[in-house]
Amino acid sequence: MDERNITFMFYGLAVAWGLLAVYAVLLGLRDRDLTKQLDTLKRMVEEKK
Amino acid sequence: MRRKIILALGVVALPLLLRNLYVIMFLVPDEMEQGPIYRIFYYHLPAFFTAALCYLTALVASVLYLAKKDQKYDAIAVSATETGLAFAAVNLITGMIWGRISWGIWWAWDPRLTWALICWLVYFGYLMLRSAIDDPTERAKNSAVLSIFASASVAVTWKAIEWWRTQHPGPVLSIRTGGVQKIDPAMEQMLYVNTVALLLLGLIFVLVRLRQEEVQREIDALRRYAHAMN
Amino acid sequence: MTTLRHAATIAAKDLRSEFRTKESINSTLSFSVVILLLFSFAFDPSPDMIAEFGGGLLWMVFAFAGALIVNRSFARELPNDCIDVLVSSPASGAALFLGKAVAAFVLLFGIECVCLPVFGVFYNITWWRSIGGLLGVLALGTWALACAGTFFSALTVNLRLRELMLPMLLYPMLIPALLSVMMLTNTLLTGQAIPDDFTVWLRLLIGFNVMFTTLSVYLAETVLVR
Repeated sequence: MDERNITFMFYGLAVAWGLLAVYAVLLGLRDRDLTKQLDTLKRMVEEKK
Repeated sequence: MRRKIILALGVVALPLLLRNLYVIMFLVPDEMEQGPIYRIFYYHLPAFFTAALCYLTALVASVLYLAKKDQKYDAIAVSATETGLAFAAVNLITGMIWGRISWGIWWAWDPRLTWALICWLVYFGYLMLRSAIDDPTERAKNSAVLSIFASASVAVTWKAIEWWRTQHPGPVLSIRTGGVQKIDPAMEQMLYVNTVALLLLGLIFVLVRLRQEEVQREIDALRRYAHAMN
Repeated sequence: MTTLRHAATIAAKDLRSEFRTKESINSTLSFSVVILLLFSFAFDPSPDMIAEFGGGLLWMVFAFAGALIVNRSFARELPNDCIDVLVSSPASGAALFLGKAVAAFVLLFGIECVCLPVFGVFYNITWWRSIGGLLGVLALGTWALACAGTFFSALTVNLRLRELMLPMLLYPMLIPALLSVMMLTNTLLTGQAIPDDFTVWLRLLIGFNVMFTTLSVYLAETVLVR
């Protein structure tokens, strides 16, 4: 394998993976946040009953 | 059930993505002129396909929403648009890195690049509009209309660039060149395999996002319920 | 036919109320002139340069002015809930939209006609050499702005940050129209007729107008009725 612009290839692959990973993490964070909200609400409604 | 499907898709997609990364870095043949940088292409083009498919899904879902007024379609539209934006960002930025080596500049005001950027901005505007409307029905209706306009405008912009001169490389896949083999078959095959991998990943994103929309609706309903109890 | 009559009534109403208060005309006109002045400081252009980007410059001004005008299009009806009355009137959503779009078109076109001579004086251009073609192209471009702008104004009328959201949504979508109208205006400003290879831009502009007008008329009812 020739190595003329191998650093930029790494940048490219890193960006491709990185961006998708960041989006996945963001999705995960939002998921946790939503689940927490839902649990709090459910508990609140239970208590009121 | 939905959770299990997502998990199963993940179990297929992640090993495939890792295997593809290995193949792309070490096994596919070198390109004569460009050197290793061309390997970016294995992400650049599949990411574009995924994004384009997402935008198309969003259009269909938006039309269906207006026809049936079912919140389900609105959820599909927003999930697909958001995922499409993520993949379009991969497409744009890998393209910029390739352009830095091949053209010597990060960004050329080349029609295709311009088009991809406009597309990104237009669909980002869709998300902005959504975040500005609180009432779910109103939000679903207005953003569905905007999505239809967005697709129309994006399609015309696409046509406009064909009349312009482009320095972006032309099609290389044999399905686009009428059977002429422009690149090594091993390369082309790898391209398709990675397209499948990214499409799978996109599908997972859409499904996860879709579930979040459902949970959000459940939360809103519970809020109203709790409010009514007071 | 009734749709057109209703549209004419709405347009007349809008124009009449605008000419009584003159709130958007005055502000938009002075805004356009100020922008034209600022551009001349920013570039200090020579006549050759103007031949290259005069059309672009002019349309930047018109695009800003257009956003200001269409912003008021539906926002004007917010006080006293006039918009609800209009929607529940016998006029259909399509008529309402068309009337408002025509009113915006007339206002914007008027402002453009004032801006052109000012532009000619500031930048030392003999812009009237192919005035027929120029006015035609201006009309087409203005309709693109007025039509898409009015529709998006209806879409964003109830939002917080309406003034910001409208141009954010509008400009990226208008790019094909703005692009072609800028190219055409550039050539027409130099006094040449439209060259053969530029008819694609004319076709693009007309196609854009037809498509956006159809879509807007078709979807206006959906957006306006809540």
